[in-house]
Amino acid sequence: MTEGWTENDPTTVQKILDEVGTAPECALAFLQAVHRHYQYLPRLALEQAAASSRMTLAQLSGVASFYPHFRLKPVGRHRVRICTGTACHVKGAPLIWEALRRELKITGDEDTDAARQFTLEKVACLGCCTLAPVMQVGDWIVGRVTPDRVGSILADYLARPKPSTGGATFTPSPAADRSVAGEIRIGLGSCCQARGSAAVWEGFETAIRKTKSKVHLKRVGCVGMCSQTPLVEVIPSGQEPTLYPQVQAGDADLILRRHFAPASVSVRWRDSFDRWVESVLTDAGRRRQAELKAADADGVTDEFLRAQVRITTDHLEAMDPLDGAEYGHAGGFEMLRKSLAENDPEGVIRLITASGLRGRGGAGFPTGLKWNHVRRASGIPKYVIVNGDEGDPGAFMDRMLLESAPHRILEGMLIAAYAVGASEGIFYVRAEYPLALKRLREAIRQAAEAGWLGPRVGGTGWSFHVRVVEGAGAFVCGEESALLASIEGQRGHPRWRPPYPAERGLHGMPTLVNNVETLAAVPWILRQGAGSYAALGTVRSKGTKVFALAGKVRRGGLIEVPMGISIRRVVEELGGGVLPGRVFKAVQMGGPSGGCLPADQCDLPIDYEALTAAGVIMGSGGLIVLDDTDCMVEMARYFLEFTQDQSCGKCVYCRVGTSRLLEILTRLCNGKGHAQDLDLLKELAEGVRRSSLCGLGRTAPNPVLTTLRYFSDEVKAHMEGRCPAGRCRGLISFEVTDRCIGCTLCAQHCPVQAIAPRPYETQSIDQEICVRCGICREICPEQAIRLLSGRSDTKLIKGEQKGSPDGRH
Amino acid sequence: MADIKAVQLTIDGRTTQAAVGTTIHAAAVTMGIQIPTLCWKPGFHPSGSCMVCAVQVVGRSGFIPSCTAVVEEGLQVETSTDAVRAARRTALELLLSDHAGDCEGLCQRGCPAGLDIPAMIRAMASDRMEEALAITWKKIALPAILGRICPAPCEKICRRGAADAPVSICLLKRRVGDWALSQDPPRIPACKPPTGQRVAIIGAGPAGLAAAFELLQAGHACDIYDDHSVAGGGLRHAEEEGRLPAEVRAGEIERLTRMGAHWRLGTRVNLPGELTDLRRDHDAVILALGPLVAGWEKDWGQPYTDGSGWLADRVTGATGHAGIFVAGGINHSSRLAVRALADGRRVARGVDHWLQQGQVVGEPHRYTHQAGPLTEAELGMLMQGADAAPRREPVHPDFTPAEAQEAAGRCLQCDCRRKTDCRLRDRADELCAHPARFKGHRRAWEIDRTHPALIYESGKCIACGLCIEVSRRPGAAEGGGLTFWKRGLGIEVRPPWGRDWRQTLTGDPAAYVAACPTGALAMERRWC
Repeated sequence: MTEGWTENDPTTVQKILDEVGTAPECALAFLQAVHRHYQYLPRLALEQAAASSRMTLAQLSGVASFYPHFRLKPVGRHRVRICTGTACHVKGAPLIWEALRRELKITGDEDTDAARQFTLEKVACLGCCTLAPVMQVGDWIVGRVTPDRVGSILADYLARPKPSTGGATFTPSPAADRSVAGEIRIGLGSCCQARGSAAVWEGFETAIRKTKSKVHLKRVGCVGMCSQTPLVEVIPSGQEPTLYPQVQAGDADLILRRHFAPASVSVRWRDSFDRWVESVLTDAGRRRQAELKAADADGVTDEFLRAQVRITTDHLEAMDPLDGAEYGHAGGFEMLRKSLAENDPEGVIRLITASGLRGRGGAGFPTGLKWNHVRRASGIPKYVIVNGDEGDPGAFMDRMLLESAPHRILEGMLIAAYAVGASEGIFYVRAEYPLALKRLREAIRQAAEAGWLGPRVGGTGWSFHVRVVEGAGAFVCGEESALLASIEGQRGHPRWRPPYPAERGLHGMPTLVNNVETLAAVPWILRQGAGSYAALGTVRSKGTKVFALAGKVRRGGLIEVPMGISIRRVVEELGGGVLPGRVFKAVQMGGPSGGCLPADQCDLPIDYEALTAAGVIMGSGGLIVLDDTDCMVEMARYFLEFTQDQSCGKCVYCRVGTSRLLEILTRLCNGKGHAQDLDLLKELAEGVRRSSLCGLGRTAPNPVLTTLRYFSDEVKAHMEGRCPAGRCRGLISFEVTDRCIGCTLCAQHCPVQAIAPRPYETQSIDQEICVRCGICREICPEQAIRLLSGRSDTKLIKGEQKGSPDGRH
Repeated sequence: MADIKAVQLTIDGRTTQAAVGTTIHAAAVTMGIQIPTLCWKPGFHPSGSCMVCAVQVVGRSGFIPSCTAVVEEGLQVETSTDAVRAARRTALELLLSDHAGDCEGLCQRGCPAGLDIPAMIRAMASDRMEEALAITWKKIALPAILGRICPAPCEKICRRGAADAPVSICLLKRRVGDWALSQDPPRIPACKPPTGQRVAIIGAGPAGLAAAFELLQAGHACDIYDDHSVAGGGLRHAEEEGRLPAEVRAGEIERLTRMGAHWRLGTRVNLPGELTDLRRDHDAVILALGPLVAGWEKDWGQPYTDGSGWLADRVTGATGHAGIFVAGGINHSSRLAVRALADGRRVARGVDHWLQQGQVVGEPHRYTHQAGPLTEAELGMLMQGADAAPRREPVHPDFTPAEAQEAAGRCLQCDCRRKTDCRLRDRADELCAHPARFKGHRRAWEIDRTHPALIYESGKCIACGLCIEVSRRPGAAEGGGLTFWKRGLGIEVRPPWGRDWRQTLTGDPAAYVAACPTGALAMERRWC
């Protein structure tokens, strides 16, 4: 009997079936809906569906167990998700994970505490890379978590009043009223909300109501300056805009008063009294007033924005993502209208071909050529699929575009569909992107209302329908053929290509699969001309690319830069370089399919071929900056852990090969490498690269191969039992030096009580208990904790050398 | 059929034409080029997952699954380069690194003669003595004798030993030997019609006797020479020590007489002097002289020795002189009777080849997988298929039929049910795969016995999905079919969530076994 299954449940399941349909291809949607309802998949729900639909129990079982998003066991009352994206990883996510397990006393294979209060989950990326490390409790995202804070975070969550973020509706003030004194724009993308922009919105709403100001409060898309969020832009009518970074909810009054006078005399009087009280009586208020400077004041915004060229991310900071009418006023759907009017689909393809646009999903296949293949392929109907299954840990470009510019992507998709002669479109978007899905669905509704979707698009004879399919957290489904299987309601197993989807795709019919960012560029290219797009970039890589810049960089965020710009410029100019006192060591590009490029190679231009030649790849756009405290062997291990976990298990090289690679890398990180491990690593990495069935397997060894290529010294050091970056916990230890003043701060913060507090004496660390989290070192006011590299267990090293000169044991 | 579109391509340098949509594998087969396959077989949809059928296309760096990839115009395919073979081998080695199970029972691996002990025991468990005898005689000429004097290395590594005590293998074998002698008339194996060829065997110890047993079955005449007037060689020591009753020795030697052996006992052959004469009168000569006394090298010299030992092939016993072979203690220093016996049989196989085909071919080496030490859970799982009874010694010196049956029932049957019918093992042999190259964590060895006729061992599954395809055929699995479960390294084939094999498979289980290329699916055989 499935836990908690009651007699009401069959009715619930039947209702879900009525909504999603009973065809085999509805399996994923059915399971998503059941999962949303129960937070897990009760087995009896699957049994019931198999009995009363064309889905079989075998199919549903296979699909349910394939996708990481689905849980087959009931969850605790609250779900705690720990982001394990690259940026979070390099900033200590594994320590957070362990600290939470310790805090909740969860051991072994369990993921829920004994009281069934909290269930712990790892999530590939929460898309808040600039806040790393990040965890999510319920719907509450907490950034910059430290291991010693996890207990209080959980307690705060339980103690806090009903969440306000979930309830906020963000109804924009009516813009039609032209008598307004001005506009206030607040970015409300997922990551902005994670940093409290929803609360800021509420603060402004209250302040406007209180002061009865005639100010239009407007929700806008992503500005990209994630490190500065929440961002508020104030535009009094007829004046220059002012952009405020890192605004807090309490700043609303202050900002409002700075730019707009309250409407009524009584309010004005009360307001000035309040202001006087606040500024005179509280230090905090005075300080905040001085602090709250426009972003442009120190030139940071300018540096961040100067080198960028905004094509796909154009106007996002000014437009309401959900205002189709506004998109229309700003020239939206104009290019679709023009294409339909000219009735020259081949001409559109020629234009896209001439622009040099290439697939932004990572592989860089020429978009025009792909469109042409689909157009020429025979078969009816033809499909267009927008691939929004962004799964790289540390990449959230597509999510940002879907959240901020759903109409633009829809227009791009419609133009593509018209050009190739498709009649059905599908958005495949991760279920982990609820806001993107919500906005996308709303945009589709609006577009249908405006006549851009349906049986007679734009009044022509062309019919085009669109639906949304929610992915379920399988990284491999970003691969075309796996994506198709997933949409057909199957496990996301890729198949050998050719035939390519252009020829035999969804249901065996010609199918165009394009990435979100690729399609977002299409309206711009049609508007500005192929020449304008092709004028940007290098000989073979044209236009712009959006990157998620994060890691050990001062200003992280989402950026759109012209192809050909050097990586160094991106890191140092846009990102402001690494933190003071640290050394820029490498960039990680392309996520688990990419690799690490050392700092001395970073004058390389961003260009598909140049990056591939250097052993890294463009990928979908994750760009993580690493400094001297990051270990390259550990980075390779981290990515292999990800791909190994995400392998679909179909082909031998990927299924077993990545696992064996991971085992070797784990040995190295623990200083237990065998003498033959380096050769084996290289040989196997090459084998997996050359013989895997799909792109996931074939690119999975890239992090290993680049580490071997550029950081061989570091690899050798690990063979000798040292981690030069002081990162691998099996190879480091901490020691208290005689600078210790006996303040016992370290003992108080140690999460495992490895330091017994001894006031006014020099503390000491019990190496047996110590988990090498490094909190003591960070907390020590006297810098009295030293990091030692090399295995602390010296006896072991001696024994091994004596026992086997060739290093085997 | 007007015009089916065809493309032109070259495979291994030869040009061919193939219809659009033909796989590279199919195109190669029509040219007579064999490409091994593992996860796919004709009649099924290819998945391209195992890469054992990998080929290379000139100008591309990756390897291509030929069972899946279709022909393209102008393709230049290579099917047998070193790189291709290496890619295929690596694929196999990766599969083997995650393979949970033993091909042959550890007992068989531990037996110097390589007796298929689990098969012998299976036959005895259901009292099929003729079959048990046939299995035994394949490797052991003198089971009644060895059943009394063998130190039984097989029992020392028997997996049951880890649970309580090993299976009484040696006593069971003795019962097979005694049973053959006790029949009226005592059993002898079938011998092929005479070939007209004659072999001289010098030395009537275990090696010589085993060689004669093998050669007589093959239809060759044997003259067996020995200084002593009684055959047995080193076996006489056991007799003198009281471990071997004279009538048992006599009984098993009598069998050779009845098979047609010519005894030249009490006849001293002066070696190497008379060797030339013997060779002239015989088609082959086997020297089974037992351990040699010090200083023999002086007598023999080139080409038999370089002064430090015999110059002979360790496997076939062939020496530098055509038609002259050595066997037993002369070739191996071991004093174990079973080892000498094993060597005599192996050399006789070589002699038989030489007599029939003019060249000496050793027995083919077989890849044998071993799961290594078992976890407690794995041992427990194997125990579920065996009688829980403790090891019991016979009340009388010999097992009664009932006692033997009980002892046989204790066998864990840990050898693979598909050991002679496993494509994974065949490919591993062909490609010389090394089982430990990618040593790492291996899956648990699990046996699912929920189906009455079918055994499923997930640890031997290569996730090819052929059985899932069978389950989708009409009527095959009205109870729910089969599916892949989980993903990555944890992927497995199983019945749908909440069902077992008995509930899910309603069709003919043999179809699933026939589809499975490995030992993952097999018919239950215990009492069949």
